[in-house]
Amino acid sequence: MADSDEEYVGDVTEDEDDLQVSRNDRTRSGKRKQRGAAEWELSRTWETLVEGADGTISSTVEGLLEAGKRKRLLKDTTPLQRGIIRHLILILDLSQSMSEKDLRPTRYLLSLRYAQEFVREFFEQNPISQLGVLGLRDGLAFRVSDMSGNPTEHITSIQNLRPQDPKGLPSLQNGLEMARGALFHTPSHGTREVLVIFGSLLSSDPGDIHQTINTLVTDKVRVRIVGLAAQVAICRELCTRTNGGDETAYGVALNEQHFRELMMEVTTPPAAYSEKRTASSLLMMGFPSRTVEADPSLCACHSKPSRGGYLCSRCGSKVCSLPAECPSCGLTLILSTHLARSYHHLFPLINWVEVPWNRASISSACFACGLHFPPVPPEDQWHTAENHAKGMSASSRYECTACGNHFCIDCDLFAHEVVHNCPGCQSKSMRVPGNAAITSDGMDTTA
Amino acid sequence: MNSVDASEHYDLGTTDLAPSLLTIVFDTNPHAWAALNQSLPLSNAVANLLVFINAHLACNYANEVAVVASHSQKAAWLYPSQHETPSTTTADRDGDVAMNGSAPAQTNKYRPFRIVEEQVTKNLKDLMDSTSSGDLRGNTSTMLAGALTLALSHINRRTIAWAEEHGGADLEDAAAEGGGSGGGTGSGAGRHSAANEDERLQSRILIVSVSGSSDSAHQYIPVMNGIFACQRLQIPIDVCKISGDAVFLQQACDATKGVYMALSEPRGLLQYLMMAFLPDQRSRRHLVLPTRVDVDFRAACFCHRRVVDVGYVCSICLSIFCEPPPNNECLTCGTSLDIGDFGGKPALIPRKRKKKKRVNGTSAAGTPMSTPTPGP
Amino acid sequence: MAASTSRPLEYLEGLPGTTFYKLYQQPSTALAIFRRMLPDLAKCFVMALLYLKDPLPTADLELWVRSESKKQRDNAISILARLHILSKTRTGDNVLAYMVTNPFASSLRQALVGSEDSQSFGVFSQISGESQVSIADLDDYARQQWEGVMGYMVGTSAFSGQRELNLSKGVKQLLQAGHLVEIRGSRVDITKDGFGFVLQDVNTQVWHILILYVESAEAIGMDSVEVLSFLFLLSSLELGQSYEKKHLTSNQLRTLADLADFGIVYQDTPEATRFYPTRLATTLTSDSSALNNPITGSLTGPAGDSGGSGSGFIIVETNYRLYAYTSSPLQISLISLFTNLKYRFPNLVTGKITRQSVRRAIEIGITAEQIISYLHSHAHPQLRKHNAGHATSNTGGIPPSVLPPTVTDQIRLWQLERDRLRATAGFLFKDFTSLAEYQSPCQYAAEIGVLVWKSDKKRMFFVTRHEQVAAFLRSRNQQ
Repeated sequence: MADSDEEYVGDVTEDEDDLQVSRNDRTRSGKRKQRGAAEWELSRTWETLVEGADGTISSTVEGLLEAGKRKRLLKDTTPLQRGIIRHLILILDLSQSMSEKDLRPTRYLLSLRYAQEFVREFFEQNPISQLGVLGLRDGLAFRVSDMSGNPTEHITSIQNLRPQDPKGLPSLQNGLEMARGALFHTPSHGTREVLVIFGSLLSSDPGDIHQTINTLVTDKVRVRIVGLAAQVAICRELCTRTNGGDETAYGVALNEQHFRELMMEVTTPPAAYSEKRTASSLLMMGFPSRTVEADPSLCACHSKPSRGGYLCSRCGSKVCSLPAECPSCGLTLILSTHLARSYHHLFPLINWVEVPWNRASISSACFACGLHFPPVPPEDQWHTAENHAKGMSASSRYECTACGNHFCIDCDLFAHEVVHNCPGCQSKSMRVPGNAAITSDGMDTTA
Repeated sequence: MNSVDASEHYDLGTTDLAPSLLTIVFDTNPHAWAALNQSLPLSNAVANLLVFINAHLACNYANEVAVVASHSQKAAWLYPSQHETPSTTTADRDGDVAMNGSAPAQTNKYRPFRIVEEQVTKNLKDLMDSTSSGDLRGNTSTMLAGALTLALSHINRRTIAWAEEHGGADLEDAAAEGGGSGGGTGSGAGRHSAANEDERLQSRILIVSVSGSSDSAHQYIPVMNGIFACQRLQIPIDVCKISGDAVFLQQACDATKGVYMALSEPRGLLQYLMMAFLPDQRSRRHLVLPTRVDVDFRAACFCHRRVVDVGYVCSICLSIFCEPPPNNECLTCGTSLDIGDFGGKPALIPRKRKKKKRVNGTSAAGTPMSTPTPGP
Repeated sequence: MAASTSRPLEYLEGLPGTTFYKLYQQPSTALAIFRRMLPDLAKCFVMALLYLKDPLPTADLELWVRSESKKQRDNAISILARLHILSKTRTGDNVLAYMVTNPFASSLRQALVGSEDSQSFGVFSQISGESQVSIADLDDYARQQWEGVMGYMVGTSAFSGQRELNLSKGVKQLLQAGHLVEIRGSRVDITKDGFGFVLQDVNTQVWHILILYVESAEAIGMDSVEVLSFLFLLSSLELGQSYEKKHLTSNQLRTLADLADFGIVYQDTPEATRFYPTRLATTLTSDSSALNNPITGSLTGPAGDSGGSGSGFIIVETNYRLYAYTSSPLQISLISLFTNLKYRFPNLVTGKITRQSVRRAIEIGITAEQIISYLHSHAHPQLRKHNAGHATSNTGGIPPSVLPPTVTDQIRLWQLERDRLRATAGFLFKDFTSLAEYQSPCQYAAEIGVLVWKSDKKRMFFVTRHEQVAAFLRSRNQQ
């Protein structure tokens, strides 16, 4: 199973494995668009393989690998307004259907593990958001952890579920009602979201779930569901209606990897919708600095003695960790770095473009890492290798349209997924136009 | 019979310790060095730095080093020189640097040391020569963000290359742990056991900084992006602050668990470097490191660049203001500070309003430098 | 690595202090010892102290290390002391302090900064031109010579038939002196030590041989210090460069000629005016991991096809099947020591590790650890990559292993099958007259934790230490 996961892409050279990998890639990305596991399209990957001049298929295989890498990063970079301040309830199905072993080790344990990762990643991406966790078991919904902005609390309470066993039937309606109750009081400048991990094929509800859906729509709660078994009609309806007709909010996991991806997708702040603008959304926040005292003193949040901590910038009470709400004056206290962490969602790096052979000669090596590009072949060979996969540059060069530098695929990937900076644009000052000659001069020799 | 138990099984795997890659971001801002000329001239600093680099290379046969200059108008590689990369970076992975024909008579120095020294001094000289007085006028900043990004790209490249040779986990995997959209590793959590970290190329970044922070304020977002990338990849950023004081850099060290040190006596640079910055990640586990306990986390407002400890934050773009902006309209994104709604089309951030051109100006279109940024 | 560092370290530790004093005069030696012999933490200490004007008070050094890492600190300091690098002095106000001893400190500083006139890092030959020997040729030469030595030990010349390398008498004597082989007439028999030796990685082997060489140098009237520092000098030379011979002393020239037999250095003819270090020499002070690639790749890989990314060539599957991509008769015969080989192709042999084959190996004196470390250090990159990426999701805290754990465990278990008896040195108490007389000392022995075995029926018990038990018995008798 794991062999066909993507981590394997880089290292297999046997043809068989490659076929499998690329098929997997393809179906997976296709799936995401087409909501769920239902349609296993027939893809004849072998037909895209073409023997190279030397009689092997390695060139095509490499092309496929590179295209696969790049596919991940070609996302929409239009700067959308995003709901950075989110209120999300994570609902975990803890009913007996979760003891199935189709996802290893069991659905239950895997969901708990991913839930913890999800919490960590969620706060990484949405530092000033709030999260709560609910569980569905024995036809009831119960609270796993309260709405709060502290990831460790959630993680410990999810961890505490591990020794317990999943049992009974789930009730989607109870869960949603409870989530709605928790989200009801949240301020209107944030989003209200629910993420359900649902392993069952049924919901044993006390009343009419359609009414619940209606109230969710009026309360502007968006529900997303990750199914673990098969598609369920009510889930689909629920997602479609609460997301304004968008069906992508419901996904059914094909395998462990896909499950993880579906969950992690939710951590990206959702685009905000523009129609009505009502409530004001200027928030008052404190940016406390860290202090260390010579003698321990009690912190205001847990009443535990500690030496280090952050002093509330308004009232001076000590809290031990950020982000938090000052227990005495109620001011939201966060680190300015927390805010900065979200900036790359707001100002994404533009996608780089493929460089055709006729412009490739201006660079011989990647600007950022110095990797050498393949030399430019004679002009008559430019079109021989036309059957390259889409999104992949024939010359292995990728150009940032802002600074005009060329980069290799790895740096492209790295810049867009990890650093969110363009090494070229950041490396030279662009402010004095007269400088251009000098900087480009300098690039040839030193850069 | 107890010689077979789980703790012993894997001894072999962990004994091969990965070498470390030290990437030095060297701030060569001419203004700041001119101010420092009394206590620590640039040439002395470079000499000290070279001894430090040699000491790092001496620690392990396979250790690697890279030096990026963060100059006033651009960031450039000092070592390895990019235009002759094939002979240096690829060849010196086992320390045997390929010869490029020249065999100078000076033989009383260990060869790898000499190569680094020659290249760094030559490239630095080129860099200084290429700096015109026009570049310097009215420009007191340093391209920290660019240097950091270049350094990270280099680390990424070397880590991938090293992993290919030795079969360790690469940065992508590390990123996958933290990154929702990141690499496709199936396994996630378990992969970062301590032993696994030992098998990766141990990378760290040392920033030798002389410029003050307000100079780099316009790079706030890219610098922060770089810092978060390091944090995600578990690359510590060490800062050796010779003059000035930078809030960002303090935060960088704090976020990446690096060493922050502001030198009280710049002449003692070498001893500071040897004592605090030489130990690699493995040794650091055993050492008590000088870290800064109080970190300044205050933010600067976007509107007046005041350092504030209580501010107002736009819920859409998270811009920080020291007072409610006029007309209740966010100065950054132009939202009339209202809440969005559900069930419609995604809204574009309205075009940023043209702001007055600041002295040190704006705008590389690729990355959002033009955003009004907090500067302390 | 532990195994590979320990031997040179042990040898060096045995040297008297004056030898160190002479050794450390050379910057190259100081650098080589610093790099090769010291643990990470010790390196940090040395570097931190190197440029300090005054000695560092011991208390400060202790404060610098975390309290959890006391063990590592003590280990580092004791190694430094044993190598005469760190010494304790007293500062002006009589505080105990550490400092780096002098010839070492100044030499290391010289190495880092670059000195004026010592020729510690060799003198390039100025003649250049078409007579340069390429790196590939050097690798080739090194491989041929080294495999020749190995082949001589394992006796593969008969196996392959193609290569009858003429080993010099000195080499044979050295191998015999080191008890790696026994020469009976014209027959060469490999010893138990020899088996252990051939299964080690190349770097360890080279060190082993060099130390044997230094040890035997005394016997033939060479100064061991001179030889040693020459070895360290070699290790800091650059591959692919030729060096002048005329600056060398006569003893060093003699050493050079001997080392050429092993493929550690290369010279066109014994009379040539210059020599080339091979990879075996230039990687002497590297860690085994750094060395694995270039050297074993070129040494063990299929001839002519070295230099690729592949270093290892062995794939072991969980079903005990072994695939080795090699055509080297030496490697094949090494593998056949503990594997039942099944098929042989031009560049591949396959076989199976079985209980019988492992037992056969163990009977001739190879240990399970040696087999495992051999497999580990020659594992195919594919195997490394695969397993490093894999052993993750379910094994929790256990670090991933390159070899399938089932196989390594089973090899160890097969060895344990033979270790059914264990000898414990100790003392037997017997002939107690009464059960009571027997019981109380027996109980006492169990309490103090020295009891190994007892038999109530025979009124005997066996302990590892007898003093306390005897004293106990005496005191009872007096009552």
